[in-house]
Amino acid sequence: MATIIDIKEEIALQVKDFEYTYAGADAPSVKKLNMPIAKNSITALIGPSGCGKTTLLRSFNRMHDLYPGNKYAGEILFKNRNILDKNEDLIHLRTQIGMIFQKPTAFPMSIFDNVAYGLRLQGIKNKTELQDRVEKSLQNAAIWKEVKDRLKHDANGLSGGQQQRLCIARAIAVEPEVLLFDEPTSALDPISTAGIEELVVELKEKVSIIIVTHNMQQAARVSDYTGFMYLGELIELGVTENMFVTPTEKLTEEYITGKFG
Amino acid sequence: MSIFLDKLFAHSTKFIAITILFIVAWIFTVLVEHSMESIHAFGFDFLTTDIWAPNLEKFGALPAIYGSVVSTFLAMILAIPLAIGVAIFLSELAPARLKTPVGVSIELLAAIPSVIYGMWGLFYFVPIIRDAFGGVGISMLTAGIILSIMILPFMAAVTRDAMNTTPDILKESAYALGGTKWDVIKDVIIPYAKAGIIGSVILALGRAIGETMAVTFVMGNVHKISLDLTMPATSIPVALANEFTEADGDLYYSSLFELSLILLVISFAIISVAKFYFLRRKRD
Amino acid sequence: MTHTHKRIIINRIVMSLSSLSALIGMGFLFWILGVLIYNGVDALNWNIFLNEGAPPGHEDGGLKHALIGQLYIVGVATLAGVPLGVLAGTYLSEYGQKSKLAETIRDISDIMMSAPSIVIGAFVYAVVVMPMGHFSGWAGSIALTIIMLPIILRTTDDMLHLVPSTLREAAFALGAPKYKVIIQVVYRGAKAGILTGVLLGIARVAGETAPLLFTSFNDNFLNTNMNESMASLTVTMFNYATSPYEDWQKLGWAAAFILSMFILSLNIVGRLFLLKKKGR
Repeated sequence: MATIIDIKEEIALQVKDFEYTYAGADAPSVKKLNMPIAKNSITALIGPSGCGKTTLLRSFNRMHDLYPGNKYAGEILFKNRNILDKNEDLIHLRTQIGMIFQKPTAFPMSIFDNVAYGLRLQGIKNKTELQDRVEKSLQNAAIWKEVKDRLKHDANGLSGGQQQRLCIARAIAVEPEVLLFDEPTSALDPISTAGIEELVVELKEKVSIIIVTHNMQQAARVSDYTGFMYLGELIELGVTENMFVTPTEKLTEEYITGKFG
Repeated sequence: MSIFLDKLFAHSTKFIAITILFIVAWIFTVLVEHSMESIHAFGFDFLTTDIWAPNLEKFGALPAIYGSVVSTFLAMILAIPLAIGVAIFLSELAPARLKTPVGVSIELLAAIPSVIYGMWGLFYFVPIIRDAFGGVGISMLTAGIILSIMILPFMAAVTRDAMNTTPDILKESAYALGGTKWDVIKDVIIPYAKAGIIGSVILALGRAIGETMAVTFVMGNVHKISLDLTMPATSIPVALANEFTEADGDLYYSSLFELSLILLVISFAIISVAKFYFLRRKRD
Repeated sequence: MTHTHKRIIINRIVMSLSSLSALIGMGFLFWILGVLIYNGVDALNWNIFLNEGAPPGHEDGGLKHALIGQLYIVGVATLAGVPLGVLAGTYLSEYGQKSKLAETIRDISDIMMSAPSIVIGAFVYAVVVMPMGHFSGWAGSIALTIIMLPIILRTTDDMLHLVPSTLREAAFALGAPKYKVIIQVVYRGAKAGILTGVLLGIARVAGETAPLLFTSFNDNFLNTNMNESMASLTVTMFNYATSPYEDWQKLGWAAAFILSMFILSLNIVGRLFLLKKKGR
């Protein structure tokens, strides 16, 4: 049995007996997983490659549904509903639960249009409203000063770190309640990484954050809670400060002291 | 000995490679040379005269150029939407178990020689056009339709390849913002693959304009400009295929060579634009 | 929500249109294949392989002359085009690499691959048929060689390029001269790829009609003298199909069927070679 501490905050997402099987696979990649995600906090998911942490992350916004043949079981409760339900409106879900990827994914359009993209999808056409919300998002993503004079420029002209912040601005523009970060700094240099980490910590005032990372120091620096996964199971979920000092589970201790992974 | 063989091998491969350039230059020179008589006789009027009368020794390329342009244009407007539809289907829509078989059959159909498309057109499509529009069924319209069917697989396959270059992660980002499939296609995939898609279409155009056999069966080779698409017409390759072996008289031959030269220059120009402007080769 | 609904509806419409165009496209293409198989199988019989062409009205006309002529013309083109193309491709990949000369040759070959084949026919007519004073099998083979050359050259270039440079370096480190490294190591590494290129190149020229119309011309009887005009499947098919005689048209379908099956098999075998290589 996994060790799961009690969450003192409100719960944003509750994972219940969750299982996930890839198309054509015999065994599930994530097994019987139970896990609460705290509201307005940062929960880091760590574990060796193939432990299922990214698979779990991509279930929260049903990204897996883009590829046929995958199977979910169990429940993920969000705002009093099971988002794994067949009838879940995925378009709506994805505006409530946003995602940032391993690599910056600026669309082939201008900086402004990138951030306005999600808003336009929701039917916002009013120019002033678009401008206001784009500016606010860029400010919240701490990139406004760098791009305000070249909003009409192609977004692919920005540096990697800037692009990643642009993607964050794009994701928060639609005001999601949860943000999923899938190793957001794995393609960035140390200085850009520090900038993104700082930004992630600031963002938790407005959204609940789940971040998958390979980098244990990163998890220690930014997160409030840390979940350690191994072979598709959650081994331990704890308060980050305690987890890295006095883990309860032996496996967790071995992983964070570098005995494997 | 080994050093000698080494040098011999290096030099002979280089020599043969350069021969390619030589052949291409030679093709141009020979075509220009053989066109000279016609160029001297008609000058620029060759391009603007709509009379092609071997018995009067009067030759104008306008009907053939007009036919090439119109039939290719028809083929393109019919094939482009279908090809893009097929490409979207193959790259984004088709379930995994359909993707490979449908994709491979499209590629195989692109390999079927154009003479077969022409023959099919003559026996199965000409009667349909005849019943629908009257006349003989051999017409500019028939040629345009057969041409569009012939280039469809090629165009669809290369357009699909261009679309497939869009990184998954970029598409996922757009889905993650609540985009529908069509939103993702029009806002991310098409802008991302724009150069490749346009290049593919232009490349198909370059092939279509020089295509001979698919249209020779169904066009009629009538050197007369008619705005009625259901009338027989001709195009540069059709005129060449029909008349080269029957031509008598130096001026007749020379005019046919000038037609070939015009066709070669046009296709070289179109293919170069596609290859060098839109589909620049990438290597490491 | 209304805007999202609108988007969802537009999405459905566009996706249906896309599936529909795929269906229409595939429909046409399978219609052609169906017609080909239906008429081809109907027209096939042993006499086709045993008999030469006959005047219309004779029951026992065959395609032996066209099959053998095709074999000669394409065979000679392959014998010339493959070694020349492979050697030229070797220069591009192994010697020229990214030099200006090599890049120019690549560019020109890329254009030549899509250039109108009928123009090649006109060129060969001017430089071979006119000086000789008559059509000939040789002229047809030369035209096909010119068409085949850029295809073989570019696939060889690409396939050799895929051979890892560590393999070459390992051979050089053993003291082998460059031509031996290329012949004994690089060619072996790229064998499947080059073979695929060769098969696809043959498939491509075997279907060519336009460049043969006024080079090898045609002959309704068996002829194995490359110095004279020669029948080919494609030109025979064209002549028979456009003739008013039903028995000739039937033979035209048989020729179309045989040719398509030949070309499709070459394509399928070529793809399997590549797949097998990737699978390893």
